[in-house]
Amino acid sequence: MNIIKKNIFYLVFAVLLFANVSIFISSMYLGEEINRFDSETKQLSQENLNLEKEVYQVQSLQYAASLSAHLNFTKQSQPVYFENLKYALNR
Amino acid sequence: MSKIRLLLFAFFLLYGAVIVRLFYLQVLHPITTTEYLSTRKILPNRGKIYDRNLQPLVTNQTKYRLFAEPKQVADKEILKIKLARALDVEEASIESKLDMTKQWVSLYTGISKEKRDELISLHLNGIGFDEIPSRFYPEGSSSAHILGFVGKNQDGDDVGNVGIEGFYDKDLAGLPGLIRSDRDLIDRPIFLGTQEKIEAENGRDIVLTVDKTVQEIIKRKLIEGVEKYKAKEGCVIVVQPFTLEILGLSCVPDFDQEHYYNYDPSFYIDSAISSLYEPGSTFKPLIMAAAMEEGLITPDSKFNEDGPVKVGEYSIRTWNNQYEGNITMTRILEKSSNVGMVYVGQKLGNKKLLEYIKKYGFGELAGIDLQGEVPGYLKPQSQWYPIDYATATFGQGLAVSPIQMIRAFASVINGGNLMTPHVVKKLISTSSQQEISPQITSRIIKKEVSDKIKQMLVSTIENGETKYLKPKGYVVGGKTGTAQIALQGRYDASKTIASFIGFSPIEKPQFLALVILKEPSTSQWGSETAAPIFFEIAKELIVYYNIAPE
Repeated sequence: MNIIKKNIFYLVFAVLLFANVSIFISSMYLGEEINRFDSETKQLSQENLNLEKEVYQVQSLQYAASLSAHLNFTKQSQPVYFENLKYALNR
Repeated sequence: MSKIRLLLFAFFLLYGAVIVRLFYLQVLHPITTTEYLSTRKILPNRGKIYDRNLQPLVTNQTKYRLFAEPKQVADKEILKIKLARALDVEEASIESKLDMTKQWVSLYTGISKEKRDELISLHLNGIGFDEIPSRFYPEGSSSAHILGFVGKNQDGDDVGNVGIEGFYDKDLAGLPGLIRSDRDLIDRPIFLGTQEKIEAENGRDIVLTVDKTVQEIIKRKLIEGVEKYKAKEGCVIVVQPFTLEILGLSCVPDFDQEHYYNYDPSFYIDSAISSLYEPGSTFKPLIMAAAMEEGLITPDSKFNEDGPVKVGEYSIRTWNNQYEGNITMTRILEKSSNVGMVYVGQKLGNKKLLEYIKKYGFGELAGIDLQGEVPGYLKPQSQWYPIDYATATFGQGLAVSPIQMIRAFASVINGGNLMTPHVVKKLISTSSQQEISPQITSRIIKKEVSDKIKQMLVSTIENGETKYLKPKGYVVGGKTGTAQIALQGRYDASKTIASFIGFSPIEKPQFLALVILKEPSTSQWGSETAAPIFFEIAKELIVYYNIAPE
């Protein structure tokens, strides 16, 4: 009887020890994962910000103006109907 | 056997000691120090600002601060040379900052991502980068005065200054969050300890009433005009007259918001809301409308313009000292007759004249949602002399802001409603949206009077000096203004503020624009300086809004 009690005690002790160690190790891994996800999230939001900036830059009138200047499309056409009303009035 | 027992005893003794120590540390005398507790502030993202078509005007970007840890620097000379080349600065500038006795020194801020990547590729020891959130302006400084800028307060925190950034600073800034977390030596979270997180609340996004295309048009035309007419300053405001939404507002000189610190603070002043001027003849339609509202005159009422008019010791003349005899009220506006306006003012009476000037909102804040608005100045009635009442009828002797002027003028062409000008259309947060609707402050004139005034203003363009500027087939209403600038109690005829206020189309105006030039040199007259700028802008707005000929 005594031996059985002893064995159960050792078994419980071993299980608790194993559980303790595995929880400790997994919490370490979890902590590392959290840190990794944290930095990945930060990196992604940074990349997102950079891409957003590029998109907005390309959409801007400033960019269109500089591109048109580069392509020599700077001569603005005066609307023809300011001088020739027949076009505007469809006559 | 006894040795094993001794070892076992020693082992249990040590184990027991560890347990007792842990019991002491965790139960009897728990450590509540911040040794493991790391508290970090989560910075909220500042709200973005969009134009009325949801095109971005201000967003966020990350810039970098370049710092050095002098103790880690292997070769100071090489570091200096390489940094100087990469950053295009003088070596002496780096030398002055690189104090080798310090642990950490900040070298440069505002480094772009591209420049940071370039510096990283140099593999220099002892330098590093801190991320610094900053604002990005896709359209450059096209709306500098409307948008304002984000600077730093005494604690080094971001704070919005002037314009929208200043007025809506609290909405844009959001609320910071907090992370309190027990961490081990290598910064991993300790799950048995404190783990708290309060999420940051990002700032609200703002949708403006401003249209970036209109803004681009007016700024481009204004700069061209200021250069062409060699003016000291210039301002253009474009509004939707029925809602008083600001479609565009630009004043030059202005500043580059990203590098605001390179400019003298005087450049931050938005003349459209913070400066006062004498409106001159652009004020005449307001008084004319008041007299018509009181039933004292009609557009066809006659007045005998037979020469200068005496008011006390002063003699008031027309701008060209020419007099046409019997003329109508419409003709008074067409030829911008000061003498005629004195007659209208006399018909209205001093009391009513002052009452209407107040009704139009002069002397009080227009209520625009931009930081830095001034109320103008209207002296108390006890200080008004007969000459003041006379000159007020043609817009001299009054100090008004451009935003007050366009607000008052909008009321005479929109059916008579005095409205509150506004720049913000919508505030958007993650959970809700708040629309800002047009606000009518009061009703000043009847719709019929408004319709008549519009026709008179059309006639002013058709038969006035600016008729040759008008795009063919289109009907434009408006009025020029040339006000002399008072210097040391006297008016200097060579220094004027030239202005033009106009609208199109007539039936239901889509835009009302005010152009002001301070001290143009090529000509002092509004009809030869401000008016051409207005019509240049109007031509582009007519195309942009697809307005059909009338």
